[in-house]
Amino acid sequence: MLAVETHQLTKDYETKDTFLRAVNNLNLKIEEAEIYSLLGPNGAGKTTSVRLLTGLLRPSEGGASVLGLDIVKNAQEIRGKVGLLTETPAIYERLTVRQNLEFIARLYNVPKKDIRHRIEEIIDLFDISEKIDLPAGSLSKGMKQKLAIARAMLHDPPVIFLDEPTASLAPESAKIVRDQILKLAKTEKRTFFICTHNLFEAERLSSRIGIINHGSLIAQGTPSELRELKKDETTTLFRFDQWSKEIKDYFETNKLEIVEMDTERKIISVIIPKIEQDTPGIIKELIHQNHSIVEVKHEFPTLEKIYLELVESESVPRENHEEEES
Amino acid sequence: MNWQRVWAMIRKDVIEFTKSKYVMSAIIGMPLLFAIIFPLTAIMPIAKIDPAEFESADFGQFINNLFSKAVSNWSSLDPQAQTLVMLAYSMFIVVLMLPIIIPAVTASETVVGEKERKTMEAVLASPMSESEIVLSKIISSFLPSVIGTLIAAIGYIVITDIIVYPFIGQLLFPDLISMVLVFIFSPMVSIISVELMIMISTRVTSVRDAYQLGSLIVLPLIMLVVAEMFGLLFQSTITMIAGIAILAVIIFILFKITANIFDRERALVKMV
Ligand SMILES: Nc1ncnc2c1ncn2[C@@H]1O[C@H](COP(=O)(O)OP(=O)(O)OP(=O)(O)O)[C@@H](O)[C@H]1O
Ligand SMILES: [Mg+2]
Repeated sequence: MLAVETHQLTKDYETKDTFLRAVNNLNLKIEEAEIYSLLGPNGAGKTTSVRLLTGLLRPSEGGASVLGLDIVKNAQEIRGKVGLLTETPAIYERLTVRQNLEFIARLYNVPKKDIRHRIEEIIDLFDISEKIDLPAGSLSKGMKQKLAIARAMLHDPPVIFLDEPTASLAPESAKIVRDQILKLAKTEKRTFFICTHNLFEAERLSSRIGIINHGSLIAQGTPSELRELKKDETTTLFRFDQWSKEIKDYFETNKLEIVEMDTERKIISVIIPKIEQDTPGIIKELIHQNHSIVEVKHEFPTLEKIYLELVESESVPRENHEEEES
Repeated sequence: MNWQRVWAMIRKDVIEFTKSKYVMSAIIGMPLLFAIIFPLTAIMPIAKIDPAEFESADFGQFINNLFSKAVSNWSSLDPQAQTLVMLAYSMFIVVLMLPIIIPAVTASETVVGEKERKTMEAVLASPMSESEIVLSKIISSFLPSVIGTLIAAIGYIVITDIIVYPFIGQLLFPDLISMVLVFIFSPMVSIISVELMIMISTRVTSVRDAYQLGSLIVLPLIMLVVAEMFGLLFQSTITMIAGIAILAVIIFILFKITANIFDRERALVKMV
């Protein structure tokens, strides 16, 4: 059974006299135990997608199922079976950390005898134990976020939606959260659906990444599959012991595109179309011409570069332009 | 209806109320104020008048009929004592405005407050059904109003009795009328007030709007309380039972309407 499946999932928000398409014909298939990251610019439709999948919003067109349950017909059942970290932490500031967690445990029908133990376990995992009897309002922003993440996982749901989980976290806290996600996916077969802007994190964490813009999915794949998309943009950097003008001439006569050249640092960066095949010959030839090479390295396009290029090439002006506001 | 979830929400709301100065003053401060101010400013001055200077008055057939049923020795009382009895009942109605007013504070705090503080999404994302959310919000807004009303009623009764006792030679309160008002009619009217406030609260986005709209429902409800009081003074069992039945039907219908118009998506999307 798929953890999440959507077909032509579409959501329009009604505004005064028009409507705004926030999610547009989204088709996703997410396996159990996957960590799926949805990347996209502000206003791309990530939060709306999560809200649709957790039964908070009704789709305008199309449909989806979570754990085989229909998001419209079985919305209540889905809500009980998934965990959701909302975009704003939604913590009761006047309640203590423990009271916040107890409330949620009861809402999700965690058996009475397990509540205490489960709360202690989860706050220990996220390193907020010493704050347990303090009002949540007195926690720092990052601690509130950790509390909210702990809360989303409290009832041990098989599918967990996290909307920007680490946005306000310091590096060590972000690592705790990442480690937990990886561990739960691996050992407990939990499925994660994560909205994020953090490309580094998406790359490290995800089994697959989807890139969404203007409500539509524009690319999808494992991190390495996405990198393959722009394989031809891999650059090769040469560093020399001594710089001479002939180095540049050599690359130019061989019609290799120069991306960067710095005569002071004695480097030149080029694009070699048949990279695997041609690089050894080029090195040989340069040595043959008496240039002493200190370093050669391939620089693969980063996920960030791929993401930015995909998103920018998509940003053609459209009729309905309200999205730009956000 | 999953009662564990309903109770969880009520518990959570009650804890939040106890931490809110605003709500606490509406539940405890305002009732104490009502209980003290009205007897001291409206009843006490009449009691202080020298009986010799008190002009005899004829209250007319209607008033005489009304109060001779409520107070056994009405006809033998002097005009000053009769005036005091009338005032004591009238002011009691004012005190019983509390079960109508308090829900304006508690319901908007717990519904609109959750929207304002953006905690509503966690509730909406939980497995709670619409009717469970509405029911738990009704109960948690209602409980403080019962407490507040009790505080006010007890305070008012004690102080008024102390003032009026020397004049009528018996305890005016608690009598059947005041008990029926405090324990049956006020709670019922209070539930109606809560339901109307929650209906308003699910549709507005700021606590201020909730108060403004809320003030519109207070007046008709107060008229309801006055009507009850008269009905009770006549001590007609039929009217009383009919009154209770009508209120019960209104409560049920309003619950159904509120649960029906409460819409998860709307509560979330129209949050700002
Ligand atoms: N309640 C709402 N009413 C009307 N339009 C909305 C509402 N919520 C979101 N939108 C619009 O829907 C679009 C998608 O919003 P959404 O919040 O899903 O984006 P997002 O990808 O989560 O963005 P971000 O990265 O900023 O969180 C945006 O254009 C936004 O303005
Ligand atoms: Mg978002």
